[in-house]
Amino acid sequence: MSDGGAPKTPGTQPAAVSTGGGQAGAAAGQASIAAPPKTVRLEVDGRPVEADSRDNLIEAARRIGVQIPYFCYHPRLSIAGQCRMCLVETSDAPGRLVPGCQVRVKEGLKVVTTSPAVKENQRGCMEFHLVNHPVDCAICDESGECKLQDYYMEYDHQPTRIRTYKLNKPKREIFGPLVVYDAERCIMCTRCVRFMDEIAQEPQLAVVQRATYSLIATFPGQPLDSKYSGNTVDICPVGALLNRDFRFQSRVWFLNKSPSVCTGCANGCNVYVESRGTVAYRELPRRNEEVNQVWMCDEGRLTHHPVNDNRVEWARQGRGDAAESVGPRLAVERAVELLKPLAGKGGIGIYISAQSTMEEAAAALLLGKELGAERYFLGGKPACDEDEFLIRADKNPNTRGVKLAGEAFGVRVEDRPPEGVKAMFAMRTDGLSDAVAQRLELLVVASQNEDEATRAADVTLPCMAVYEQDGTLVNWYGRLQRVWPSVPAQRGDTAPGWLWVERILAGLGYTHQVKSTSVAFQLLSARSADLAELTLERIPEQGVVLPRLLPAEWPKRAPRPSAPQAPRGPQTTPPGTKVGDEASGGSR
Amino acid sequence: MTEYAAQDHDPLALESELPSSPMTVNLGPSHPAMHGTVRLVLTLDGETIVEAVPEIGFLHRGFSKSSENSTWTQVLPYTDRLNYVSPYLNNVAYVMGVEKLIGLKVPERAEYIRVLTGEISRITDHLTCIGAIGLELGAFTVFLYAIEARELLWDRIAELSGARVTVSWMRVGGCANDIPPGWVEKLVECLPRVLELTDEIDVLLTRNRIFVDRTRGIGVIGGDEAIDWGFTGPCLRACGVNYDVRKAHPYSVYDRIDFEVPLGSNGDTYDRYVLRLEEIRQSHRIIQQCLEQMPPGPIIVDDWRYALPPKKDVFSSIEGVMAHFKLIMEGIQVPPGEIYAYCEGANGELGFHIVSNGKGKPYAIQVRAPGFPILSGLPRLIKGHMVADIIPIFDSINMIGGEVEQ
Repeated sequence: MSDGGAPKTPGTQPAAVSTGGGQAGAAAGQASIAAPPKTVRLEVDGRPVEADSRDNLIEAARRIGVQIPYFCYHPRLSIAGQCRMCLVETSDAPGRLVPGCQVRVKEGLKVVTTSPAVKENQRGCMEFHLVNHPVDCAICDESGECKLQDYYMEYDHQPTRIRTYKLNKPKREIFGPLVVYDAERCIMCTRCVRFMDEIAQEPQLAVVQRATYSLIATFPGQPLDSKYSGNTVDICPVGALLNRDFRFQSRVWFLNKSPSVCTGCANGCNVYVESRGTVAYRELPRRNEEVNQVWMCDEGRLTHHPVNDNRVEWARQGRGDAAESVGPRLAVERAVELLKPLAGKGGIGIYISAQSTMEEAAAALLLGKELGAERYFLGGKPACDEDEFLIRADKNPNTRGVKLAGEAFGVRVEDRPPEGVKAMFAMRTDGLSDAVAQRLELLVVASQNEDEATRAADVTLPCMAVYEQDGTLVNWYGRLQRVWPSVPAQRGDTAPGWLWVERILAGLGYTHQVKSTSVAFQLLSARSADLAELTLERIPEQGVVLPRLLPAEWPKRAPRPSAPQAPRGPQTTPPGTKVGDEASGGSR
Repeated sequence: MTEYAAQDHDPLALESELPSSPMTVNLGPSHPAMHGTVRLVLTLDGETIVEAVPEIGFLHRGFSKSSENSTWTQVLPYTDRLNYVSPYLNNVAYVMGVEKLIGLKVPERAEYIRVLTGEISRITDHLTCIGAIGLELGAFTVFLYAIEARELLWDRIAELSGARVTVSWMRVGGCANDIPPGWVEKLVECLPRVLELTDEIDVLLTRNRIFVDRTRGIGVIGGDEAIDWGFTGPCLRACGVNYDVRKAHPYSVYDRIDFEVPLGSNGDTYDRYVLRLEEIRQSHRIIQQCLEQMPPGPIIVDDWRYALPPKKDVFSSIEGVMAHFKLIMEGIQVPPGEIYAYCEGANGELGFHIVSNGKGKPYAIQVRAPGFPILSGLPRLIKGHMVADIIPIFDSINMIGGEVEQ
């Protein structure tokens, strides 16, 4: 689908507001309307509805909480009309059933979703969808969030009438690095095919064969290696496409779903982190029209691994093999003992990884000020691939934030490998090489994962992951976003980075009393005009844009902040109704 | 000095009663006669009870809250533990409420099974009560006879559900299993022995001089006053008030069964005892009619939205496994609403006030336990009596901690 046909979003961004990739999809089924949207009045099941003229019948009914079931429809993809679940009766075609996904609202239209014909069609559809479906719930990862299960109980709930064998199809086709396909479970809704065509814009999937033998397949020699392939798993309404990273790891009903922000790159996609106990299992995209719409990249889906694996768990002192776990109190005492003689004498550097939250950065800067640090270095993971949609080259979630914090403290944060200092405190050690660490006479680190730097450090303090703590991050275009303690942090001595600093500062005799994330945030909001009048608690779930930081150049399809619009999609969903696909990018 | 001497020899002063001050005594909660762990705080004037305050809560299990966090089916085991000497009746009252909310029609055979097992439970409940009265008034034999009869029936219950007390055998839409082969014959075989033992108890107690002296005219309450207190069941009918849910608001198949509601006249401990004896005989009549009338057929509704699919379908068809999964994981989807469902429990009207918000779990459940208002009336029953009268009165109201304290 070309961008040309999509409606222009009214916005304050002056020059050409291009429609993002997702918006092109969202406009599907509305594409031919050039005129601005207007309100259309119609009737659904005898109740009046005020709908947007771009709505189809499913969206119009959703506005008053009437649920029209569907598998293949997705608000951000083109209309396929594959599944036939959404057939309803309208006053325009009495005695016939029309697909609710394809038919657009019309002034005065009367829609009936509860007539016997509609109900019988829904029952029949479910029966047909299940004709060749294997008896897989017990071993299927989708179990518990499967639309087949939901709709079967709601619209069919009858025993099978099939007395023949089920059709056998390929059961574990490895489509690509992240996705595995089970053709027997597939209901051929073609959402994945349309997603790859329209949103990822890398047509890597297709329907092959015919009728009941049809399958989704990749092209010969061309795996599903798109960086957005994981989204096909999310939008798959059944268990046909599964995430290979998550497969067989946990049953979904055991997972706690908690909002956070992806730490994989500077885009700061809003995500849900799902965890059980202290272990994070998967990330799913969380809807934010101005950051990631409802999508995320495959790399971001793996960002929970550093939360689970290779963690620094216990506070310790001593370099390399001489290191010993001594507990948080003694480790902090040792850090104080080593840093105190150097305070104010020069030669101290502060290293702040852009993987740190704003609060951790602020605390590190405060420590630097008090120690009389001479130089400040920006660390982080090395830059890598980028694209024009959601993937940024900067693989750190808070580079803009660390720079902003530096400005707030009036220091220059150098974006280069540390040199010219004898002693260093590192707030997270990403990008701190062994060579640099070995040259230092004194290295104190607060680190999440074991790496070269923690092995060379004189004192190593275990740091909580971003997914485990309160805090804020600033994405590539200057959006300040909250993170929450999504995964319960109960590992060893782990604490937020700012708390380690507070402990060191207290040991050095300072009384800053940085006792909470809110106070740590105030260190910045008190010093920065950009953050003035903001408190941690006042940041909305969707984040706030810091206007001064907005870039001049935008990647072509990257979602961007826009003027307030009439909310669409799940925001119009009345309370109590089941949330549709568009809420999380997931299948439900 | 003269004054002192005069007082000392005053004949009136010698004959006047000794000045006494009220004494507070705890009866229970660990007293063997305070069944169900209840405490009575008694204020005594000598041996006479001036005031009594029952204190409950020692058996509180958080029934309502536990239920709110369980699926509709998972609530059933909690209902077993309400009145634990007649668990089937609790099961029935609860599932009747859920079925009323859904508007579910239960298969006829299941209705008969419910009446059958319910009446067996009523007998075991009454036997427990009568046995305890006898035991605590010194008639140990009566207790042994009652328990022998009760165990005969509990063996039958165990053969049916796998447990003597915690049966959890009813289901929304019917019951868990059909009656196993040979069970009816066993029941028919043991019922005469139960009746025989009941008659023995009757002979031993009903005209026993000691027993009658200890119970007749003790703990009297009038019909109107009993209604004001909220009495139901045997305690109310002992006062001569003809209220039995089975007759007043026939449910299940009680309208097809011929039985009588025995009534007392004095509302004392003796009447409550005699009435229970007679109810055992009536329950026996109901059981026999059930066995005669019970039709063959399904024992649970054939609708996978409410009843678990047969295992054959669960293991071999996707439809079955899905229905099973959804019912187990998310529970029966009960339409939103609020309902009061009630049946004749062994101690009176057992009601469930159930609120659903359309989810797989109850939004709220409240139990009208028949024992609760009756226990509230206990101070009224024992006031003015001697301490020794507390035990037979308390026995005769048959307070069950499980249902009163939930």
